[in-house]
Amino acid sequence: MNGSLRRNMAWIHGWLGLVAGWLLFAMFLTGTASYFRPEITRWMQPEVDAHAVPAGVAATSAVRYLQSVGPDDEAWYLSLPTDREPVTRVFITPNAKAADTGHNRPNELSLDGVTGQPVHGRETRGGEHFYRFHFQLQLPYPWGRWLASLCALFMLGAIISGVVTHKRIFADFFTLRWNKGQRSWLDAHNVSAVLALPYHAVITYTGLITLVVMYMPYPILSNYAKPADFAQAAYRYPAETAAAGRAAPLVPVAPLIADAQARWHAPAAIVTIRNPNDAAAAVTIYRSPRASLNARGPTLTYSGATGRLIAASGDAGPALTTAGVMLGLHVAQFARPALRWTLFGLGLTGAAMVGTGLLLWTAARRRPNAAPFFGLRLVERLNIATIVGLPIGMAAFLLANRLIPADLPGRADREVAAMFWTWGVVALLQFARPTRRAWREGFALGALAFAAIPLANAVTTGRGLPGSLLRDDTLFAAFDLAMLAIAILFGVASWRAGRPPRPAARRIRQTETIHA
Amino acid sequence: MLMKATPPCPTPAVSKARWPMVLRCLTALIGGYAATAGLSALSARLLPIDRAEATGWALILSILLYPVIALWCFHEPRLGRILAGVWGSALLCAALLWWLGVRA
Repeated sequence: MNGSLRRNMAWIHGWLGLVAGWLLFAMFLTGTASYFRPEITRWMQPEVDAHAVPAGVAATSAVRYLQSVGPDDEAWYLSLPTDREPVTRVFITPNAKAADTGHNRPNELSLDGVTGQPVHGRETRGGEHFYRFHFQLQLPYPWGRWLASLCALFMLGAIISGVVTHKRIFADFFTLRWNKGQRSWLDAHNVSAVLALPYHAVITYTGLITLVVMYMPYPILSNYAKPADFAQAAYRYPAETAAAGRAAPLVPVAPLIADAQARWHAPAAIVTIRNPNDAAAAVTIYRSPRASLNARGPTLTYSGATGRLIAASGDAGPALTTAGVMLGLHVAQFARPALRWTLFGLGLTGAAMVGTGLLLWTAARRRPNAAPFFGLRLVERLNIATIVGLPIGMAAFLLANRLIPADLPGRADREVAAMFWTWGVVALLQFARPTRRAWREGFALGALAFAAIPLANAVTTGRGLPGSLLRDDTLFAAFDLAMLAIAILFGVASWRAGRPPRPAARRIRQTETIHA
Repeated sequence: MLMKATPPCPTPAVSKARWPMVLRCLTALIGGYAATAGLSALSARLLPIDRAEATGWALILSILLYPVIALWCFHEPRLGRILAGVWGSALLCAALLWWLGVRA
């Protein structure tokens, strides 16, 4: 390439953004929704009305229930309730022998913190669906993760080249010229990208950390004959001991949790019990990720037969601590509500940056009084399919949750199918409309779909909007209000997309240079 | 990109033939990955610190190394230099890693 550094970087910035843009938009949007993963799940199971209880109480009641259904299980994993997720989530690893006999028992349960009895909500993927789509793109393992990683690498390349492209990064903070066609899209792209640049850079880099071991395993392979040894060192898993084969009653777990919390001055989040009711039983307690920026907190392991502390994970070195903090920054479990909403807003600026970049690509190539070439028309249609279609699909997922009967078998898969069918139908139907009308009608449909969510909630559950506000049902009130806010945003977008551009805006002065 | 607002289609002044650009893209995408894999694995293997830490630093920095190598492929004007630099360092690192073997 023969040009200045800035010119070359601008060229590659445009192509990187175009190739990965549509998937990046989807990753930004679903990832942003995932900041509220447990809250979305709770909204999608309106009949579950659990309340968080102290860790020791929840663990005791869960162990009592598990002793009654599978005292010879190999391991129990308990995710203790929090105010964000007020049920105890349990994963059971059955005994290898018992698994062969094929007894029919769910190995993934939600238990009530007080009674320890299973909580039955409607079958749904909940917030987990957006979270999984964010990095797996609904493709089979491991292809979705590879594709998401590649898009994120394109994103990082686009950020680096985009920064190099910028002559006036400070001045762009303050520049937003409305209603000037291409110039405005460039300004919008710059404002959304530059204002939140630290966030975009961090979220992209730290997102790449989450999957680095999958797509870049070579530093591990050059140092470890058994890669599992690195996982042991990096994630500080407790050593897995085999069962002794001698029975020994499991000690009460509440005192162990109290001991761990006193040592950390921080809450416990997860308890795993290996080989319960065996002489070699081990109870490992994980510190809450809310206690630190580092997502990989310390663990303490106690003997399940005697209650003695038998192992404590040491402090990781600087590199692995850095990796843990990067992971923590990405998943943001440390964030309290105000920071969480801020991150949610910043995530939306990421989607806006990608979206305006995609629009800019077409705006920079459209010429007055000339029919658009094939590539331009294709990009324009794919922009509509993604920027309009995906949010409508996400709204359909939430609507399906309220409209599909709560006891229908296989309903969780139907909710997911509703999202992708809706997205696909919107993506196809817009071809039947002229582009300007397709934008306008697409946004209007989005406004209707999001406005319908609180309505469907009010009609099908007893936790509708006025009531939830009066009863201090904060989660339901906030969720419904957020849906209404999004609907208003779409309404404004539809109104603006419907206005013809001013004639003067179409002509850009010949001397003016632009980025695209 | 920096350009006049009026062109039919913005392409910088690159050669008219397609294959140099194809080669450039493949070298950036695949060669850049191979060179990143080689350089990060080699530095993880050679850093004279605890091997879990050496591995950790190599993993963290490999994420920055890849886009920088790939972007350089679109900046350097001489294609020969790109091919030699990217594929050469990948092969050299692979040979050295094979010779060194896994850390004992």
